[in-house]
Amino acid sequence: MSDRGTLRIQQISAHPGPVAGEGTQRQDKVCKLIDTTTCIGCKACEVACVEWNDMPFQTTYFDNTYQTMPDTDWNYWNLIKFNEDQHDDGSFAWLMRKHQCMHCEDPGCLRACPADGAIVQYSNGIVDFQQENCIGCQFCVSGCPFNIPKFNPNTKKVYKCTLCSDRVGAGLEPACIKACPTGCLHFGTKEDMKFMAENRATQLREVSGFQNAGVYDPDTIGGTHVIYVLHDATKPERYGNLPAKPRIPLSFTVWKDIFKPIGLFGAMLGFVGVVMHYVFEGPRREQPTPPVVRIDPPPPPAGKEN
Amino acid sequence: MTNGWIDIKNTDMMLIMGGNPAENHPCGFKWAVEAKLKRNAKMIVVDPRFTRTASQADQFLQIRAGADIAFLGGLINYAIENNRVAKEYLVNYTNAAFIIKEGFKLPEDGLFSGFDAATKSYNKSSWNYQEGGNETGKAVATPPMGVAGDIPGGAAPGSIGSVKQSQPQGSAPAGEHGSVTGHGAEGQGYQAQGPAGAKAMGGGPIPPPSLPPNIAYDLSLQHPRCVYQLLRQQYSRYTPEMVSRITGIPQDQLLKAYDLFTSVRINGDMKKVATIIYAVGWTQHSFGTQIIRTAAMVQLLMGNVGRAGGGVNALRGHSNIQGATDMAGIFDILPGYLKVPSPTDQDLKTYLDRITPTPAKPNEWQSFNYWSNTPKFMVSFLKAMYGNAATKDNDFAFNYLPKVDRNYSWVNIWNDMYEGTVKGFFAFGMNGVMIGPDSQKNIDALKKADFLVVCEIYPDETSAFWQAPGITPDDMKQINTTVYRLPGAGFAEKDGTFVNSARWLQWKHVALPPPGDCRLDQDILAQIFLKIRELYQKEGGKFPDPILKASWAYTLPEHPSLSEIAKEINGKALADISDEKSGVSLKAGQQLPGFAMLRDDGTTSSGNWLYCGSWTEAGAMMQRRGTEDPSGLGIYPNWGWSWPANRRVLYNRASCDLAGKPWDPTRSQVWWNETAQKWVGNDIPDFKPDSKPEEHMGPFIMNPEGVGRIFVPLGAMADGPFPEFYEPIESPIDNPLHPNQSSNPVVKKFKTAMDKYGTVKEGYNIICTTYRLTEHYHYWTKNNPMNVELVPEPFVEIPAELADQMGIRGGEKVKVTSARSDYIAKAMVTKRIKPMMVDGKKLYQIGMPIHWGFLGISESEGRTSKMPANRLTPTIIDPNAYTPEFKGFLVKLEKV
Amino acid sequence: MATSANRFVHRTNVIDRLGRTVVYAGELLRHPVYTRFLHWMVGIFFFLALLSGFGIYLPWIFRFFTPLFGGGATTRFLHPWFGVGFVIFFGLQALNWLGVMRWTPADSRWMKHIKEYVTRSDSVEAPETGFFNAGQKMQFWEIVCGCIAYVITGVIMWFPEIFGRILVAISYVVHDMSALIMLFGIFFHVYLSTFGEPGTTQAMTRGTVSEAWAWTHHPAWYHEITGRDPQQALKQAEAEMAARERAND
Repeated sequence: MSDRGTLRIQQISAHPGPVAGEGTQRQDKVCKLIDTTTCIGCKACEVACVEWNDMPFQTTYFDNTYQTMPDTDWNYWNLIKFNEDQHDDGSFAWLMRKHQCMHCEDPGCLRACPADGAIVQYSNGIVDFQQENCIGCQFCVSGCPFNIPKFNPNTKKVYKCTLCSDRVGAGLEPACIKACPTGCLHFGTKEDMKFMAENRATQLREVSGFQNAGVYDPDTIGGTHVIYVLHDATKPERYGNLPAKPRIPLSFTVWKDIFKPIGLFGAMLGFVGVVMHYVFEGPRREQPTPPVVRIDPPPPPAGKEN
Repeated sequence: MTNGWIDIKNTDMMLIMGGNPAENHPCGFKWAVEAKLKRNAKMIVVDPRFTRTASQADQFLQIRAGADIAFLGGLINYAIENNRVAKEYLVNYTNAAFIIKEGFKLPEDGLFSGFDAATKSYNKSSWNYQEGGNETGKAVATPPMGVAGDIPGGAAPGSIGSVKQSQPQGSAPAGEHGSVTGHGAEGQGYQAQGPAGAKAMGGGPIPPPSLPPNIAYDLSLQHPRCVYQLLRQQYSRYTPEMVSRITGIPQDQLLKAYDLFTSVRINGDMKKVATIIYAVGWTQHSFGTQIIRTAAMVQLLMGNVGRAGGGVNALRGHSNIQGATDMAGIFDILPGYLKVPSPTDQDLKTYLDRITPTPAKPNEWQSFNYWSNTPKFMVSFLKAMYGNAATKDNDFAFNYLPKVDRNYSWVNIWNDMYEGTVKGFFAFGMNGVMIGPDSQKNIDALKKADFLVVCEIYPDETSAFWQAPGITPDDMKQINTTVYRLPGAGFAEKDGTFVNSARWLQWKHVALPPPGDCRLDQDILAQIFLKIRELYQKEGGKFPDPILKASWAYTLPEHPSLSEIAKEINGKALADISDEKSGVSLKAGQQLPGFAMLRDDGTTSSGNWLYCGSWTEAGAMMQRRGTEDPSGLGIYPNWGWSWPANRRVLYNRASCDLAGKPWDPTRSQVWWNETAQKWVGNDIPDFKPDSKPEEHMGPFIMNPEGVGRIFVPLGAMADGPFPEFYEPIESPIDNPLHPNQSSNPVVKKFKTAMDKYGTVKEGYNIICTTYRLTEHYHYWTKNNPMNVELVPEPFVEIPAELADQMGIRGGEKVKVTSARSDYIAKAMVTKRIKPMMVDGKKLYQIGMPIHWGFLGISESEGRTSKMPANRLTPTIIDPNAYTPEFKGFLVKLEKV
Repeated sequence: MATSANRFVHRTNVIDRLGRTVVYAGELLRHPVYTRFLHWMVGIFFFLALLSGFGIYLPWIFRFFTPLFGGGATTRFLHPWFGVGFVIFFGLQALNWLGVMRWTPADSRWMKHIKEYVTRSDSVEAPETGFFNAGQKMQFWEIVCGCIAYVITGVIMWFPEIFGRILVAISYVVHDMSALIMLFGIFFHVYLSTFGEPGTTQAMTRGTVSEAWAWTHHPAWYHEITGRDPQQALKQAEAEMAARERAND
């Protein structure tokens, strides 16, 4: 990762034309590995995130859980989800999952975004919001399969985890990784993280008796740059609604990329039609009324009904 | 900790019990995770609640709060019955083979021999070894039941016996001394919610009985009165059925856990190591010290003490609690765990004779008996205290030290204030009202005081006790206590050291200066001291010398720098001295390189012998930041400095077999180097460096026996040489082992009107426990918006089944009432606490975090009931360490 | 519904009193001030919404529209309000026109002969073509449907945090489709009211049309207003002339 200290852009939302410098240099894909099996729910990552990103505090309320708040927020990008997982056979687990932007390889938010440059994907895989370009339409919110982008009604902008692109761009690990006390969080190249994750999953299967342990790196969105090791990869829903097969709505793929231009073309056919009509058929000019041969009685006064 | 935080990564098996490290020590818990990841180590968590630590466990057992001794006793029983004990270790490194005096009685009825019902105390003279010699094979007409066949003789005693026999024979009474497994700090628990206790006070007008200099022993472990057989007999009553009845843990789970834990010692194989990790969940009971002793016994029995990845590891509740204890934050010790003088110690010699132990061991064995150096430690300490005023002629100013005549532990101080004998109170670095126990009693006590001085960084409940809920403006007029609030400095605003659980002294630097009018705590203390001294100078007084002659040789007397104090604590030579053995010689004024240089003739000074070596002529060892770890064992010898003598694992001689070879060569800490004829290793050997293995010197050098104590003789423990399971003072059932002696017989209850204790008959039928959260730090962080954001409000965790029964839903307010007081907070209905079957009764446990009071962010927003959780807790203390019973008391629960 | 063709019947209101409609000889009043006002308000808001929407719809083509509205964020802020304006004014217009836009059997017959309309095979519209022809009514109802779709989907997209991402994703498509259909229609509307049928524009500017225009494009309305039926009169005149010729013979 000799070039880890730079960020090159790979994709820009709603951008016409090529991306400057695209493909000129190869860059390793970065990845955050979250080993949920060693997460102790200490919330150090939450605090590190708030502090590094200098986010304002907010008032939270007791909600019958250790979880800080029900979901991430525009000023709270990193939330550990606590799940009491009781099974019929009496076994019980308390599953904790650090919930934040997954930095999809195929980001639904970027796909959905109509604002030029409001969302970029760096060639290292980080998906980053550029608030100065954000128009506040919140399409990214519905484009995201993980319910990550959060709207600030005051600034009318959308915010989310940046994978600390500012830190990564300077050759540092993200703040959450730095703060994690148990080493449940790792940061490195996607390849390395994938290797580590698979090894850990193997260990869980073979040593710890978690038959279904595995790695969460869903291919439905081209993989993610945040991957999980789960005790039970067959049921990611147990970890606080982590979708087994996250998908970008067809609105932002098939409709937006294919049918929208076609539809516009179709609508423009109306213009073509009228021009053709004018050329080939011509206008209908008003015809002189035929001669009056008899004076008819005067018209009825206005407003009269009959 | 006998070991250290990083060393946990070397373990193969963890028993985490009476502690919740994932929540309360998340940074240290990384090493437990590391062990799981790198060594496939197993983790067993035993707790009244399914905690965040439990979420990481291979096996979790929900135990009834306070039933820990039963669980551990059952574990001892299981290990013995299934031959999962470390035989060679047991015979040679512990007192398992020692024979106990006739007349000692096990507590089948709940009482050991020697109980005096009138004083509720024991005459401990029968708790002693038998005088004699080698009784091996000479046993006994009727062989005791046992596994004698499983126990080989260990080292051939005959050959050892012939080596040497030159120890002085019992020239002076040994006195009451020693600790459970060694250094005073380790055998006891420390409780985070109040200043800790220490060992039972010794002393009294009658010279106490002493240990015999030549102890009788039976290396075949068959003698019916040898410690091993008594141990076996004692815990044979802790059958899985009985343990399950007491603890509420189903038998199958119990046996599975026992099997898992003892699997490191299958057929006595010594390669693997298990550790036991605990915190205040063990100490805060009316038998807390004994729980920890049981753990120490398990570890000795299984040969896990002194080894990398083993040990008995107390996780300290604050960043500097270890330091506070080392520096005598407790009334009955001086720095370095020297005992405080008692009124009978009329001169230094009497005192030293009383507290300096002499070896007591089988004649054929050696004992280093490191506490025999007590006079050197003490005289050096006195020189540090009183400087030139301490001379040989005046017993080194021994009589300037206060003689402690009775119990001044935490709960006693408040009781004395409540009864009107304590009139003033200085509260630095703690929040006494919140700490409890029985916060209301503390508040009422403060009303009777003349003055209160609080040094804090926030306005705290103690300094605002007169604003506690329920006190009306009219009531306030009746309170005549003068309260002084002093603005102190936060931890990041001063330099100095933290001493962590691993005994590491680590220097920290100032991050930013104290804001506004705040002052450094040491400046405040120095200025108070100098003012008092001025008053003594002016007005004289009954006995001004201890104040007037105290050494105060700081460059800026009103602003003593902490580095100067650290150097003073390390100590220096007061005259030119040299040590023949090591060849070290020092000029007067030079810093001492270690406690081996301490002298009892007044030529050295040292504020705390344990810290001697932390700031030497080579510099501030506590400021080192070397990250080299050549052994890979996580020793990091050049990082900071670890007492004693920069050793990272205590008693590490025990990591080797009799011949001095490591039990597990992949985890070699120290070993005997035959060529060099000395002990060497990756760690500093905690041993006499040139003691040949053939000399059979015991690894537990702080005990006069030289071996680990499975049986604690004489007066080291107030309530029994073996731990016995007793019910908490407030218990939902009668002790199934001996219903007539349900709770700890030597526990004394306070007698004021505030000291009430509840019973099931009065409707207090739910077990309640208190604890802390990751997200908060005691009563501080309720003032910090970030922490408040993480967990905004207090709550009571209630089992879902109980909540269903009572119609309580999550978020609804509930009232918890104990015999003392009540507490209102929102209910957290959870599946993490299950109902349990205890002695045939279905019981429920609830719990609550302690972090909220009547001052703070949520409090000022009116989002809490403004009640300290410790309103509920009882004023009951452990007879050994004087720690209050914060865990496991009885309450009623109702919906508000 | 003969009088429904008469566009003067609506209750005159402030708007009507603010403006004027001068009807010269040879002209007929077609749209009073209120109607014209609504029309142009609808038109303005339609194009504002359309152009601001373009920038969001396909930004890589239409990104140059957004600066016209003060940049992306302002565009996003204004677009829904443009939509609100469009829908409100169109809603008033719809109430205004509800009567005349009612579909009649004559409209169905008109639709059957739409080919003749397009190819201009007749010089004038079918005699039964009233105030609005079926094509105009179709456009009207399309816009009514479109507005309903806009309101529903627009509100969902305006406040996505209330409705959730799936509804938003569906709305996104429906809103777009509605806009496309409307865009398609607007070409015809503009063409037919300008180049395609000269003389029409004046109906929405000054509010009047020439009698000839009225007779050409909306014979039934012409008949209703003037009481004259040029076709009938022509036939009659021819008959009379024929009779006169016969008489002269």
